[in-house]
Amino acid sequence: MDGGVFANLMHGFSVALQPSVLAYAFAGCVIGTLVGMLPGLGPLAGISLLLPATFGLNPIIAIVLLAGVYYGAMYGGSTTSILMRIPGEAASVMTCIDGYAMTQRGRAGPALAIAAIGSFVAGTLSVVALMFLAPTLASFALRFGPPEYTGLLLMGLFVLAYMSGGSMLKTLAMAAVGLLLGMIGIDAMSGYTRFSYDVIELADGIGIVPVAVGLFGLSEILLTAGQPTPPAIQRPTLRQLIPSLEEIKLSVGPISRGSLIGFLIGIIPGSAHIISSFVSYGIERRMSTHPERFGKGAIEGVAGPESANNSAATGAFVPMLALGIPTGPITAVMLAAIMVHGISPGPMLITQQPDLFWGFVASMYVGNVVLLILNLPLVGLFVYLLRIPYSYLYPAILCFCILGVYSVSNSVVDVWIMLGMGAFGYVLRKTGFEPAPIALGLILSPMLELSVRQSLAMSGGSYGIFFERPIAITMFAAAGVLILLGLKPLLFKRKDWREKVGLEDQV
Amino acid sequence: MTRILIGALLALAALHVHAQDAYPSRPITLIVPFPPGGVADITGRPTAIALEKAIRQPVVIANRPGAGGAVGNSLVANAKPDGYTLLMALSSISVIPEADKLFDRKPAYTLDQLVPIALISADPTILVVHPSLPVKSLQELIALAKAKSGQMSYSTSGIYGALHMPMEMFLHAANLKMRAVHTNGGGPAITILLGGHVEMTVGGPAAVASHVKAGRLRPIVGWGAKRHAAFPQVPTFKELGYDIEYYIWAGMFAPRGTPEPVTKALRDAVRKAVDDPDFKSTMAKIDSPIQYLDAPEFAKYWAADAKRLAEAVNAVGRAEDHK
Repeated sequence: MDGGVFANLMHGFSVALQPSVLAYAFAGCVIGTLVGMLPGLGPLAGISLLLPATFGLNPIIAIVLLAGVYYGAMYGGSTTSILMRIPGEAASVMTCIDGYAMTQRGRAGPALAIAAIGSFVAGTLSVVALMFLAPTLASFALRFGPPEYTGLLLMGLFVLAYMSGGSMLKTLAMAAVGLLLGMIGIDAMSGYTRFSYDVIELADGIGIVPVAVGLFGLSEILLTAGQPTPPAIQRPTLRQLIPSLEEIKLSVGPISRGSLIGFLIGIIPGSAHIISSFVSYGIERRMSTHPERFGKGAIEGVAGPESANNSAATGAFVPMLALGIPTGPITAVMLAAIMVHGISPGPMLITQQPDLFWGFVASMYVGNVVLLILNLPLVGLFVYLLRIPYSYLYPAILCFCILGVYSVSNSVVDVWIMLGMGAFGYVLRKTGFEPAPIALGLILSPMLELSVRQSLAMSGGSYGIFFERPIAITMFAAAGVLILLGLKPLLFKRKDWREKVGLEDQV
Repeated sequence: MTRILIGALLALAALHVHAQDAYPSRPITLIVPFPPGGVADITGRPTAIALEKAIRQPVVIANRPGAGGAVGNSLVANAKPDGYTLLMALSSISVIPEADKLFDRKPAYTLDQLVPIALISADPTILVVHPSLPVKSLQELIALAKAKSGQMSYSTSGIYGALHMPMEMFLHAANLKMRAVHTNGGGPAITILLGGHVEMTVGGPAAVASHVKAGRLRPIVGWGAKRHAAFPQVPTFKELGYDIEYYIWAGMFAPRGTPEPVTKALRDAVRKAVDDPDFKSTMAKIDSPIQYLDAPEFAKYWAADAKRLAEAVNAVGRAEDHK
């Protein structure tokens, strides 16, 4: 294809605007929004369940449908996070903190609107970036080997140390619990099973889905059930959705930063859309002139992570389409969906299958518009769902949680883990501990361990490998700066900066 | 009224008795012990569709991933042997019990708990190197590896995994030492090689073909008994004088104790299924060569393969024994 990006894109629109392709893009977006909203049923489960149905379709339609589910879920995930403090999927965990606080302050409408607008802006900007930068950025991502991952993940852990609103000691304790949970399962480098107690399901380790649904979803339901009167639910009308000028002003920065960070993290293989929202939240809080507002309903804490996870979802398509490399299980399933149709993924895909690549890109422009329309007016409908009395609504959510968790790998053990984690999360929150760092610790721990040990396997046991490679050493330097920044107030002032701004009281 | 009811009940009972003796009288579950999208899954789905036509009952795929296939394999090994719970397993089925033995673990299942029904596909693996590595042939590779003993590294799909065993067979046969960098799947093993972080890996032909075409990876040697159709220029270990062979295969199994008429019905149905034109074209699309073997031949094939793999697992041994 030598017609230039614009001509290619026009060709792409001619594919994407065919009624059949358009209909499936719309269906994908609707399914994605629902999948994102339902706790436990994340984009991976949704796409996997749909995969068999795509074998009979043509490959362009198949990928447009599945991609719609993926980025649609990033939109939908925010709704239940904001309204009920239940993350519809793992990438929305951060949105719960300030999104729900806004709901409690009566600003649910603007929070939902900003989440949808942020997702739209990030989604659209990242498609533009995908279109221009796919081949270049993909080769950059390949340069990330195990030592670079180690640096990146360490940075992630340091961001984690600051992200939660409670005391730093409690945050670190919870992160440690998460890291320990992540130790369960087969040791990737030696083949030993650790802490599995002859339960073969545990040999694979504990999945993030049952833990997240249990810790965040179930514990919330239990807590609410324990309250004497159900909290008043905000039911914003269309007019109440309109954010104030102040809120819009505050959101511009986080949305643009979130879009950029999310995209960059998205192209690096891994569970990028989840990490990106954590990183974005940490950065927004760090950059804010009023960090004390975070955790109490800061609109930036919704705008940043929601933009970042959408942008990361698009970023993940860069190595998938340009090199045929899946960045995680979701893109792996999507690759399988096009391979069934005889299209071999890889560096030749864009030139050999211009209809597929450009049609896909164009469909994402269309899909983001569809999702914005779906999410803003429909938000009123979703909120309407919450008028159902809790005695009906919560058992129904519980059912969805159990079904969703079971469906990920058809495992009853996962359901038990979810129930156990629900009870654990309830106890934690009753005693003033924030469960979010457990989830991140659990996600990062196996990845960090694997990359440290892969690095050492590459170097034959020498730690020098972490300091010989330019990208890795940059990451470590950044992580070092983060530690120093974190230690500074501890060393030079008697009180933690959090205490000074009054965050200790919150949780 | 009562009469009608009794009549209906009797009819139902008769239907039930009739249903009992004609296999299959209800939907069959085909367990795939890996997540959707993997080799077992993309082989299992077209097989299930073709089998449905041949056996005239729905064949439902159930993914039961976990522990490198051990969860799904043991589920079928311990299922009721009535022919309604079947398994689409990969070659790793023989490795898991051996690794369990190695670590004194309670085995999740043993091989004698399963009976082979048919081999569906088999694909020999290919050794690929990063193009920056100055070797073009196996001889050059071995010479370099000898010169840099213990310094070169390769990536695997996981310890004792499908893309680790063939490399160990090679290292053992050529008496070489290299560093194994284990990842968590065939995809990551290739990615880390593409970035030049290791020197070589073992790949399935379908997975490496596009990278080889684009010059991002260089094929050196194959594990097949004869050259792979997609890589006619790549020699095999056999022609170069190394007696090693390795295939990633997918085959169908039933629990031991499944009655003879049931296994016969299944074998007949699979024989018809692999001849189905739709099945053939789907398998060709995913670059998965059909390698059909009926139960008796498959049992022999499996025994030989399991023996080779058991030797390889024991040659690797426990990780700490190397230190």
